[in-house]
This record gives sequence, C-alpha cells and structure tokens, in this order.
Amino acid sequence: MNHEPWLAALTGELRRHGVGPDLTGHVVAEAATHLLDSGESPLRVFGAPETYARAVVDSLGGPDVRPPRRQPGPVRLAARGVTKRYRGRTVLDRVDLTVRAGQIAAVVGANGAGKSTFLRICAGLLSPEAGTVEVHGTLGYCPQDGGTAEFLSPDEHFVLIGAGRGLGRTAARRAGRAEAAGLEWTPPRRTQARHLSGGTRQKLNLVLARLGEPDVLLLDEPYQGFDRGTYLDFWHEVWRWRDAGKAVVVVTHLLNQLDRVDVVLDLSGERNA
Amino acid sequence: MNQERRAQWLRGVLDLCVLALLSRGESYGYELSQALRAHGLGTVQGGTLYPVLLRLQRSGLLTAHWREGGTGPARKYYRISPAGSAALRAAAIDWSAFASSVGTILREEPKR
Repeated sequence: MNHEPWLAALTGELRRHGVGPDLTGHVVAEAATHLLDSGESPLRVFGAPETYARAVVDSLGGPDVRPPRRQPGPVRLAARGVTKRYRGRTVLDRVDLTVRAGQIAAVVGANGAGKSTFLRICAGLLSPEAGTVEVHGTLGYCPQDGGTAEFLSPDEHFVLIGAGRGLGRTAARRAGRAEAAGLEWTPPRRTQARHLSGGTRQKLNLVLARLGEPDVLLLDEPYQGFDRGTYLDFWHEVWRWRDAGKAVVVVTHLLNQLDRVDVVLDLSGERNA
Repeated sequence: MNQERRAQWLRGVLDLCVLALLSRGESYGYELSQALRAHGLGTVQGGTLYPVLLRLQRSGLLTAHWREGGTGPARKYYRISPAGSAALRAAAIDWSAFASSVGTILREEPKR
C-alpha cells in the first residue's frame, strides 16, 4: 500500500503545529516503520494526519511526571568575588556563584552585562582581576559560537574531543550519537561541519561539551538557531543532566525557563553604565 | 469486554503498562503494541501509543535511539531510564492499592 500521501500530509501538519524538522522527521519515520510492520492503513492506525499531529503536539507539552527532585549534592562550582575590568570599565564586580551537583544555575542579564565573560572565567579561559573559581570534578564548556572545526564531520569531532576526555574511537562515536539522539538529531556520516546549518552546528557544539559526561557543564546560550522542538529537547536534556547529578550553568537571556532552574545569577545590576 | 470501557481504563494505565514492558528490555512501537495485545489489552493503535512514548521520553522516563534493522527499516528503540524505573515502582504500588479498593467495593455483599 502506498502510504506516502498520508506521511506527506502528516509532515505538513507537524510543521504547521510548530514541530521542528528533526522531531518531525523522527515522528514520520517512526510512523512509516510501524505501517510497514503492521501492514495496516495509516488512517486506521493513526487516524487523520491532522488529528495525529495534534496528539503529538499535545504529548510534547504534556504534564511533567518526573519524580521529585533529589537533594542537591556537593559543591561543584564555587565562584567568589569575581571581578573583571575591560579598558577601565568594570564588567563584573565581585560576582559570587555556587552550584552544587544536581542543580541548574541560570546566568541572566542584558547584552554586555558580562554573562559570557563570567562563563569564560569559570571555564578557565580568561583570568579575573580579582576573585577565585573552584571547580570540583570534570568540566565541559559549550561556547556561544565556534567550537566546531569546519572540515571535520560530526563523528570526527566526537573522536577528536572524546580522545581528550579518555574515550576511544568507538566509545566516543557512540557517546556522541547517543547525546545527539537526545536532541532528536542523527548526525550525518560524512557531512563536514561547514555544511551544517547554524542550529545543527550548535547541536554538535552541545554534544561535544557533553562528551565524557563532565560533572560541571557551562553552556553559553547553546540553543541559538534551534527551532521550538529542539529548544524543548534542549531543556529536557538539561533537566535530565541535573537529575543525573550534574551541575549545569546556562547563560540565557530568555527568562521563561527560570522557574525550572535552581539558582539565578542576575548580572544586570552588577555594572554602572 | 465492552470496548469503550476498556479504552477508557487503558487511558489511565497505558503509560504504566509501557514502562513495565520496557523494564523487561528495550523495544519499539510496533513490538510494544503486539505485546500489549498478547497481554489481553486488545489493539492499542499507533495514534494512541506513540504520543504516550513521546511524552514518556520527554519526561525523561524513557530514552530512545534509532537502530538500523538487519533486514527491515531503522527502528526507534525505547529503553526505560532510572527515573522511569523509580516512577514505575511507585506507580505499581499505587495501582495495587487502587485496584484492590475497587475489587473490595465490587465484591461487597449487597445489604439485605
């Protein structure tokens, strides 16, 4: 039986409902496989494309049934009195932040408030004028942009970065692909990073930061270029990492997720304009 | 069994049944629908099953990955997460208590 018209209509309906291309691809591929296995008509198995698309969308925004959060663990990141000046201007003024295992910290503030600077200091890429940063455990850092190599494929990235974190080739590739699946992304085998879209390159960036499952994750607005579905995927992954006992620091200017984080560091008032 | 009533009951427990089946090993949608049928729950159509799987995945109770089939097409395999196992354990206890309460009421002798 030819299911293509129904599958094409489902693709269109999912898009219309704001489901991103990756998740749409997964839902449609899964439906197509089911139809092959069962040999039944799509209308019988899934109903009208519009109805099924709505059921999919409803399930994305469904109630949160995760078990209650565990108690946060030991301190993983402790920044004390971090101060940074650029050309006589104080960007960060005695900033403190403590993040424990099993906590998410959001770093918020206007453009130029020093969010990325603070994260780079936490990552050890930049020295502060004053103050200390202690990291207890392994560290993963996802920069706002960059971080990927133009001429390497996603798998080559996994192997390269994985090697630095003690993973063999096979383990690194498997770990990278498993992380990518969490973002509903199946990395293409031979495509070089320069041919990936901006959003997809950000996914790669994020997957690289997660390789080896570091104890502390520093994420600098890692969802730029993500569509709505992937953005939701991203937050679900962050919550999952927290529940696995990771300490996560996310730089964000989107405040609508703040009720789902544990610590908020607002840098807006830190600086005299 | 009254089809409509069974569908109604199933709505409340399908996610638990899926978690329980997956606690015995990873599986994919079609295989899960076959397993539900084999357990006497009748036909659970894809339009009902996959949104439940997606919701469980989103909630972190399941993880999913695609795997190429030896002969067939690539399939999305689901696996229960530690959070899913914990949720299942808690809900199984709740369900036993609930089902036994219903059973007690249904078995009570009518007063004369």
